[in-house]
Amino acid sequence: MEKLKPGKTNKEDRMHFVEYWAEYVRTHDDHDWSKQQKILIDGQLDHARQTPLTREQYLEIKAVSKKKQ
Amino acid sequence: MLLKNLQSIYKVTISFALMHFIDRTTIRLDKVLNELDLFVLGFILILEKYSDYVIISGYVSILLGRSRATEDVDIFIRPLQKEQFLKFYQDLRNHGFWCLNGEEENELFAYLREGLALRFAQDQQTIPNFEVKFTKKQLDEDSFRDRIIVQTTKGNLFISSLERQIAFKRYYLRSEKDLEDAAHLEKVFKDHLNRDLIAHYKQEIERYGKTQARENQ
Repeated sequence: MEKLKPGKTNKEDRMHFVEYWAEYVRTHDDHDWSKQQKILIDGQLDHARQTPLTREQYLEIKAVSKKKQ
Repeated sequence: MLLKNLQSIYKVTISFALMHFIDRTTIRLDKVLNELDLFVLGFILILEKYSDYVIISGYVSILLGRSRATEDVDIFIRPLQKEQFLKFYQDLRNHGFWCLNGEEENELFAYLREGLALRFAQDQQTIPNFEVKFTKKQLDEDSFRDRIIVQTTKGNLFISSLERQIAFKRYYLRSEKDLEDAAHLEKVFKDHLNRDLIAHYKQEIERYGKTQARENQ
């Protein structure tokens, strides 16, 4: 597997990592990559639960972000 | 000694599973399911009693390995009659889901009929949630035509075709996150994708974009 190449900008750096990780997923056992993915996703959901929003607050945030798009 | 070696080789062989297409429309995925996957599988178990569906957008690439989370899972369902919707809604309530947009069933159904999305989450939570929409435009309906199945260890999920996902993310949605999702799918399935099909969807999207622009004038 090729080494992760640093990017010149944040955007390029992110894209390099996306491609690096995709290659890892492509070439590694499902259990291997998904255990790592699970730590990331479960952690983020857990964090969201610790700072709960009411449904009104959540929908307001979504409405504002849609307007910005 | 020889037997021991054979056993260790055998063990390696059976425990090594790469995500792959087992036929033209089915992906076999032996991932360790995360909380988002389990939320999706739980919701789909109820939904599929009432409607066909196709999962689109960000969760497709997350299911297939992308290293990010999402707070909402986008899904198209075929338009339901009111009676069917009421049963579906009641079933969701009985299984610990609530709707973030309200409780009044007639109002919720009216939203869907208007082409608006309803969000469902586990009771008293907001994240993660399902963003459920009736198909309205031909492009929405088309996503059913070539949907594919992902077999997980705890159930199957219908997702939009990878080529359609890539084209929509690369040529229609185009945010940084969408371009990264497209790059992920392109890399993971590089030996499987039909490039002509991606080009075809790109043309469809461009045609759709022109029609939208005319309608908005």
